Amino acid sequence: MANPFEIFVLVKQVPDQGSKAGLNPDGTIDRAKAKRMLNPFDRYALQAALHTKKTYGGRVSAISMGPPPAVEVLLEALEHGVDRGVLLSDRRLAASDTLATAYALYKTIEWVGRFDMIFCGLQTTDGDTAQVGPQIAERLDLPQITYCQDFSLEDGKVKAERIIEGGCQKLIADTPVLITVANSYHPLEYKSFRGAWRVQQLARNPEELKKYIQTVDLDLVAADPERCGLKGSPTIVAATEKVGEIGGNCTMHEGHSADELISELLHQSNLKEFLTA
Amino acid sequence: MTEENTTTPDAQGEVMVIAEQMLGELQPVTLELLGAGRYLADKLKAQLTTVVMGYELGDMPEKLVHHGADTVYVADHPELYTYRTLPYRRVVCDLLSTLAVPPHIVLLGSSTTGRDLAPRIAAHFETGLTADCTELDVGPYEHKSKVDPSKVGLYENCLYAIRPSFGESLKARILGPWKNPQMATTRPGQMTPLKADPKHPGKIVSIPVNLLIEDMRIVVAETLRDMAKGVKLAEADVIVSGGFGLGSPDGFELMHELAACFENSAVGASRKVVDLGWIPYNHQVGQTGKTVRPKLYIACGISGAIQHRVGMSKSGMIVAINKDVDAPIFKFAHHGIVGDLYHIVPELIRQLKQQKSSGQEVPTVVHTH
Repeated sequence: MANPFEIFVLVKQVPDQGSKAGLNPDGTIDRAKAKRMLNPFDRYALQAALHTKKTYGGRVSAISMGPPPAVEVLLEALEHGVDRGVLLSDRRLAASDTLATAYALYKTIEWVGRFDMIFCGLQTTDGDTAQVGPQIAERLDLPQITYCQDFSLEDGKVKAERIIEGGCQKLIADTPVLITVANSYHPLEYKSFRGAWRVQQLARNPEELKKYIQTVDLDLVAADPERCGLKGSPTIVAATEKVGEIGGNCTMHEGHSADELISELLHQSNLKEFLTA
Repeated sequence: MTEENTTTPDAQGEVMVIAEQMLGELQPVTLELLGAGRYLADKLKAQLTTVVMGYELGDMPEKLVHHGADTVYVADHPELYTYRTLPYRRVVCDLLSTLAVPPHIVLLGSSTTGRDLAPRIAAHFETGLTADCTELDVGPYEHKSKVDPSKVGLYENCLYAIRPSFGESLKARILGPWKNPQMATTRPGQMTPLKADPKHPGKIVSIPVNLLIEDMRIVVAETLRDMAKGVKLAEADVIVSGGFGLGSPDGFELMHELAACFENSAVGASRKVVDLGWIPYNHQVGQTGKTVRPKLYIACGISGAIQHRVGMSKSGMIVAINKDVDAPIFKFAHHGIVGDLYHIVPELIRQLKQQKSSGQEVPTVVHTH
């Protein structure tokens, strides 16, 4: 093939909400202290990208945006079999909302080059918006398949299953296309020992690593700094407030054996009314 | 965006709801948004409008008027029969571009449709969008931060888009008064619809549909709606939900076993275990999952973070089983059992089964209410 099938996958490093490290007393996340991880939803996007390469050939490029430590998620992607990574990292990106983020990633994608398919996670666990994927598709003037739970390539077309309320849509799409992958897609396969070993060797050799992971800034990808970060963000978080505690009239059952706790519960509640006939 | 910085107060943009129908059936979230939109429009002294797209829509536009819309824009076209990103995007973007004044606010449901369409419209008009709001309001805002001097000033009538943030016990108020429309999506089940009023005046306006070849890059081959096979969280009378406290995906077998004791029941899950891939997304209850109001909600090993709470706190009765006595869920559950769910739940199943068999033996027993 003269032009290899080009597969892009967008990944993000997010705070690990499962760990208590880096949680401020007021409940906000201290991103500097929090444990970091690959956005769980992106694991499905990564699987989709790697599956596409394995089945149909081509090359997978993982693209991320974030502060320098975000290179960790690109290394993880390499371990799983991605061919190369690109990290957009620039202080001027701080406080970007989804619109500004989508703009910066769109410029980065254009800089990386031609693509046939772009995979994104359904959403991130730190923002939960599911907006960046479609906003990139809008800027690239691409068709999109969100909530994709399965797909195949046939005769140059993408046949996909998209989740909708109470069912699914079966879609046929032209490429290039942007797909956000739902977590009912296949889970990410374990990384191979060889892949992990190779990346560990690479990580010890910064010069060699540069051949596989490139770090770029706004100037290099020709993004307008005015459209990034706080300046380029049409929304701001104006205030946060602690959510008032509601209720407070919970009848607690504790300190007895399971047997006693349950008879107490069944005695004091109307659970029985809902039993099957 | 610096040029568009000042919105002229004399030309009040409308509050617009983008209606959602599926296979000719108006979705409840649209009526909920009209309820919320009516409140915002009245406060702004603005018109409440809605745009509905589909094919052979019948009396759907009238229904939208009865539920509070002052104007209904109707795009009726065979290619709009089923939702597709690009044709729907084209119709909405064309409509917004032809309005003399951009809408002040545009609202969509945060369904698979709204979450697909809203970001495209927001990106097209380079405007702000807040996802999955649990409350909406309008009010003033003074921006004092001088990081971007062009944004400093007092802004009347900002959309307050309020949503829980980061799965923590915090609510964030998100604003974007610098450019209209100010956009937001809300979860189905969060807002209250108005009662239908057949006397509510409103006009129905047919709008042009000018689709381009490039809008057809995706074809819908088939739409499958199998409610019987799907997870019926929204309709269930009883929901048994599992969280991280289950310890492993296998724990959901126990959840199914407990759910099977109840009539019209379903199994739900917290976001964390869905993120971990223990159970598919369509089981997820909470801000980024489904909002549910069953008669009985049994939460097993779920701590009760705000993300989860906003999706289930309106349940008739909440029973929480958790080994951590300080778990937030005990602050809003009706009955709390402190203990290891792997001891508690099997015992609950055993006693429920016992109740049932004894109930069958003595069918004359009537519980007093």
